[in-house]
Amino acid sequence: MYLFHKKEINMIENFLEIKELKKSFGSGEAKQDVLRGMDFSVKKGEFCVLLGPSGSGKSTLLNIIGGIDTPDSGYVSINGDKLEDMNEKQLTQYRRKHLGYVFQMYNLIPNLNVKENIEVGAYLADNPLDVEEVITTLGLQDHKYKYPNQLSGGQQQRVSIGRAVVKNPDILMCDEPTGALDYKTSKEILALIEDCNKKFGSTIIMVTHNEAIKYMADHVIKLRDGVVRHNDINDSKIPASELEW
Amino acid sequence: MKNPLIKRIPRELVADWHKYIVIIIFMVVMIGVVSGMYVGHDSMLGSVYSGRKVLKLEDGSFELSKRASKELIDDISTGAKADVRQYFIDKGMKEADEEVEKAINENVANEVKALIEENVRAQAVSYGITDEKIIQRQIDTAVENNFEEAVAEAKKSDEFKKAEEEAYDKAHEEVTKKVDEKWDEISEEYNLDDKDFFEVPVKIYEHFYRDENEDNDGDGETDATVRIYRSDSKIDKASFNEGRAPKSSDEIAIDRMHADNVGVKVGDMITVGKEKFEVVGLLSYVNYLTLHESNTDLMFDAFGFDVAMLTPEGFDKLNSRIHYNYAYMYETKPEGKTEKADYSDSFLKALITQVLVRDNEIKDYLPEYVRQASNFAPSDIEGDTTGTCILCYILIGVIAFIFAITISNTIEKEASVIGTLRASGYSKGELIIHYMSMPVIVTLIGAVVGNVLGYTAFRDLAVNLYYNSYSLPTCKTVWSNSALVKTTLIPLLLMFCVNLIVIVKKLQLSPLRFLRHDLAKTKRTKARRLPRWSFLRRFRIRILFQNMPNYIVLILGVILIELMLCFAFGLPDSLSHYADKAPDMMFAKYQYMLMDNKDDDGNIIETSQESAEKFSSKSLMYPKNISSGFKGMGSGGDESVTVYGIAEDSDYVKLRSDIDKNGVYISSAMKNKFGIVKGDTIKLNEEYENKSYKFTVEGVIDYDGGIAVFMKNEDFIEVFDEKSDHFSGFFSRKEIKDIDDQYIATVITKDDILKVTKQLTHSMGGMMNVFKYALIVLAAALIYLLAKIIIERNEHSISMAKILGFMNGEIGSLYILPTAMIVVLFSVVSFVVGYFLMVRIFQIFVLQMDGYFAFYMSVGSMVLSVVYLLIGYAVVSVIDFIRIKRIPMDVALKNME
Repeated sequence: MYLFHKKEINMIENFLEIKELKKSFGSGEAKQDVLRGMDFSVKKGEFCVLLGPSGSGKSTLLNIIGGIDTPDSGYVSINGDKLEDMNEKQLTQYRRKHLGYVFQMYNLIPNLNVKENIEVGAYLADNPLDVEEVITTLGLQDHKYKYPNQLSGGQQQRVSIGRAVVKNPDILMCDEPTGALDYKTSKEILALIEDCNKKFGSTIIMVTHNEAIKYMADHVIKLRDGVVRHNDINDSKIPASELEW
Repeated sequence: MKNPLIKRIPRELVADWHKYIVIIIFMVVMIGVVSGMYVGHDSMLGSVYSGRKVLKLEDGSFELSKRASKELIDDISTGAKADVRQYFIDKGMKEADEEVEKAINENVANEVKALIEENVRAQAVSYGITDEKIIQRQIDTAVENNFEEAVAEAKKSDEFKKAEEEAYDKAHEEVTKKVDEKWDEISEEYNLDDKDFFEVPVKIYEHFYRDENEDNDGDGETDATVRIYRSDSKIDKASFNEGRAPKSSDEIAIDRMHADNVGVKVGDMITVGKEKFEVVGLLSYVNYLTLHESNTDLMFDAFGFDVAMLTPEGFDKLNSRIHYNYAYMYETKPEGKTEKADYSDSFLKALITQVLVRDNEIKDYLPEYVRQASNFAPSDIEGDTTGTCILCYILIGVIAFIFAITISNTIEKEASVIGTLRASGYSKGELIIHYMSMPVIVTLIGAVVGNVLGYTAFRDLAVNLYYNSYSLPTCKTVWSNSALVKTTLIPLLLMFCVNLIVIVKKLQLSPLRFLRHDLAKTKRTKARRLPRWSFLRRFRIRILFQNMPNYIVLILGVILIELMLCFAFGLPDSLSHYADKAPDMMFAKYQYMLMDNKDDDGNIIETSQESAEKFSSKSLMYPKNISSGFKGMGSGGDESVTVYGIAEDSDYVKLRSDIDKNGVYISSAMKNKFGIVKGDTIKLNEEYENKSYKFTVEGVIDYDGGIAVFMKNEDFIEVFDEKSDHFSGFFSRKEIKDIDDQYIATVITKDDILKVTKQLTHSMGGMMNVFKYALIVLAAALIYLLAKIIIERNEHSISMAKILGFMNGEIGSLYILPTAMIVVLFSVVSFVVGYFLMVRIFQIFVLQMDGYFAFYMSVGSMVLSVVYLLIGYAVVSVIDFIRIKRIPMDVALKNME
């Protein structure tokens, strides 16, 4: 059973565009430039991996793309709409209607069960996917009435992915989704995200420091010290299940 | 699709049930008691006021020395004044006519007799009779035979008629002249030229009664005076709290409150006068809500005085004097005090003249609006709820505060979930609504359950408190708008606002800051350096610093707990302190109030008692709401102030001699109650007239027994336009025995003051116990919640400390000891703050009642307030320690949400 129905993926040029993006924290001597002028673009339906060591600015970049942080200069535009032109309400709407978030820590609601945690995502979307179907696809049908503290880390991360994808988002933002998971579980999670990209056509922006993951992406952007060091299109990507690290 | 977050609410309620149950119990008790007080209050007042109509409460009554004729009743009913001038003229004429007639008859008889004697003597001379005896016999016979005819003949003569007419005319002239000469005096005496007079038509009802001795325990001794009315009375009817009205001549119904006090029940036999009666009903007469035997009684006496109902036959069986009492109802009802006073003044003027011209006599007159027995209870009940209300708001504020803290902690705990939800597109509004739901739902549950109890159990509690104090009619529960507003709408609003402010402020942060758990407003750059103490000690200090906001909340909570304990202990203490001090509060051992300063013969009443000192007094009203410092604080209405005119060089009240006409001293009770200070100007109003007086406060007399103003007697006379020999009574150190009882309105002694406090303790005692125990429970609940918050907040750290290998005892010493130190250190400080807050609240509380008593706490109670807190906290510490032991290690390991 597939989670997402297969559909044709149209790679629209510059669906996500990042221009001259700069961001620093602190001031004076303690000032730290995290993003020092970043330029790249992502096509619609692309699986894009932001790769880099700790402190390279990848999470900050993801947060700015997600509209939960703001740049000092430069801009992010999605489908032609610049985030900097949006007020707080519009940004909330933008996140609500177009984005799905998966974090390293699953951040599930402790007193809601699996199904209800996924419903938290479904509630936000105008056309959500069928919750039961999502649960089945995520392999959580035997756990759907369990609370987060009764699940393993991998299962919790599946729920958090379910919460993000059930919205049927345009972009799925993943911040180190396998950072807290073991090898086997990590691969299962990556396969799920891959599935989401393939079958549904969601654009995936995944932040990771795991070099191996780049092989499953369409687009690999390597960051270091706040700038883009490599911006590569991967023509020979391999499925998540074949990744090794 | 329904917001799935809603499902969290019931689960959170269940998961944290002990916390919420404490909060809900807290609210239910508070809202229940307050709602019960309001519902009981409104229902009782409603029953009293509706009873006035249904049971036909009189507008006033008067007693005559003999039964009134039908004509007199008819004349009084018109409300018109009788023609007193004509009455005196008619009376004078009648007397004059009688005198003139008598004089004329005597004159004519003498003249006729003289004429007959003259004729008989002339005949005797012609017949040569000289024997005087024979002549005298002939004269007697002639008078006997001819006198009446001769008199009649004489009266026919024009001469006689003329003389008679002249005599009558002269006499009538005299009478008219005399009435005219004395008219000014008469009209002044009966106030006949009053321009304000208007006719007040009334309907009059016979309402006779007898005062008899009551022996209610069958020991042959008189236990009380019982006032008996007939069961067929058409006015001032009774409502039956138990049993029924008497149906046969050996049945009686007596006052419920009296029966309650002396232990008489339905079915008991009591002796009234010399007759035995079976008690078949316990009643409440609409005009005897308090058992004031006389309207001048300082306090009612539900032990020594009773009112009862007998059938007309039963009434006739008794032998004591019948009081010819008549009750009246105005044809058109007056509105407001002033109009009532005007009506009653006019009616009295008419009544005096009508009774005069019908040769009857007024023994007593009492308009209903000044009748203590029907007005004391409602006016006392009316201002009874503010203290409860203030207390309620404080407690709801405490709950809102606890909720705000709890929610603020929850938000911190759930920061990453909130961050994720916000990042996923949940709006701030949705989250605000989500976090607001719990306090609103809990308040609603508290309000609904509290109100249900308020309308049932607690209402009965409140009503019983009133029943303990007064002879009230059966109470019907009414819907109370004030209860709804004050126990449901205001708490909801309070809870809503406090929580909204806290939550909105908390959720202002960006989603990113929530995701990063970066919720502190200010970023501390450096950790505080600590001296080289032991590690545990430094750890503890760090915990103390880290939890500072929670400890500030704890300290505020402890202050509130102390405030509640001060209330719980201070209220009964204040009453008993007042009772203890009452005897010292009398500035004279005896205070005799006279009916008038002149006796029946118009002589000034004097006494040979050496310690006696004349004083004047007058009752005026002080408008409470203009009192400085209390504006809008539940004040309202007017308070009666006794103004004393004090003799120069008084032995009882020392006033400076150089104060000017409008300079007065006030009692310390007045100063403390209204916050009036030396130099202030006070305005006092006449209660039933549109007249007011302004005085400057020159000093304070140390007298806590009443709201009083003291001025020099000469100024009193001038200001109130009294006659120069005016006075109202005597202060005396010893009993005055040489003044007839009929001239004494009332004597105030230590016993009277004690009677007041005894009644106050009796009336308020029940309520105070309810408050006391409710407050102790609430205080315990509050400290439990506050301590729980601190442990909850540190759950993660405690779990981590356990993982690191700290023992439960060590963890307890790390997390419980700082809290214990704070509680112990601040217990005394909080008591002091709570005490002074209570003093202030008490001032507002007392402002609602008439009279004054100061807030007082015995040293024992003060110590107990602190000890109770510490014991409470000790118990909570044990619970906390168990809680710490139960925190699992995986709290720190398993990720957080």
